[in-house]
Amino acid sequence: MPDLPPHTDLEDELRRVLARTDPVPPGLVEAGIGAFAWRTIDADLAELVFDSLTDQDEAALVRGGQQGRLLSFRAGTLTIEVEVTGTGPSRRLMGQLMPPQRGGVDVRHGDSTTTVEADELGRFSAGPLPAGPVSLRCRPGSAPGQPAIVTEWVSI
Amino acid sequence: MTMDPEEAGRLVRAAAAGDSAAWEAIVENFSGLVWAVARGYGLGPADVADVFQTTWLRLVEHLDRIASPERVGAWLATTARRESLRMVRGSARAVPAEHTTLVSLGQVDEHTPEQAVLDTEQAMLDSERDRQMLRAFADLSARCQQLLRVLTATPPPSYAEAAAALDMPVGSLGPTRARCLGQLREMLS
Repeated sequence: MPDLPPHTDLEDELRRVLARTDPVPPGLVEAGIGAFAWRTIDADLAELVFDSLTDQDEAALVRGGQQGRLLSFRAGTLTIEVEVTGTGPSRRLMGQLMPPQRGGVDVRHGDSTTTVEADELGRFSAGPLPAGPVSLRCRPGSAPGQPAIVTEWVSI
Repeated sequence: MTMDPEEAGRLVRAAAAGDSAAWEAIVENFSGLVWAVARGYGLGPADVADVFQTTWLRLVEHLDRIASPERVGAWLATTARRESLRMVRGSARAVPAEHTTLVSLGQVDEHTPEQAVLDTEQAMLDSERDRQMLRAFADLSARCQQLLRVLTATPPPSYAEAAAALDMPVGSLGPTRARCLGQLREMLS
């Protein structure tokens, strides 16, 4: 791919002004570096396959009456649905493992993890949680030897 | 310039294998770009912080899944762009978003008696020029501001990274950049 013509003096000046007046907050860079601690090496990744925020038309057709934002994650045969409610700085999650099964759910958020249990119908809930990035680590109880699943990080 | 693709690929693979120093180098090199992308959407500070953090968290989990480790810069830019759009749509925490460029320059530093008057005058001139630049920048279209924020990130992104950040076809980046810079120059003259 070709490269852009060299930077103009004006761009360099704007770069300096923005670096002075709107730099990346050092605390954020630290947090980005700290994200490495969330690395999981023994779990499959459940991808975000549906987000009502971006896929709303489908949601209108398939489901009615949801209160909040609906997220759906999938890894192989396990689907994790999560409804997110709440405004301002606080959120609540209501989740469902499918096929329905018991299991432990570690809700990873901010700097900490809250652990809840999914009942025999696969239902779980968590909150209040702070708004921000969240990822669930599910330890399905039913199939022995089934690996844990972590959901893609999403900002709620 | 952001790190060259070969180095980026090497660091991504090292980080995937557990090398935290490699991870740190990636974050330090590309934070400016991720920040520049997130800041271009008129989001409030808490939302920008969340976009920034979510982007890095996503890279952590994709380190060994990323299709082209050499193009991690473009991957980060695309992820930040998508998360920003999601945030714009979802702002349930809707604090009226500050205009991205109405950044306060802060107080002029109180100077100690020891500081040379000359230094103080220069600082005030720099400050005034900064204000002029930011005012002119704020008068550009939202799209030009977004584009120039990305192009003037520290360190500057590659062409491919800028195109990914802005979701622009390869061919239009150059001409649009020229047009936006022309407008900025116009506003400053």
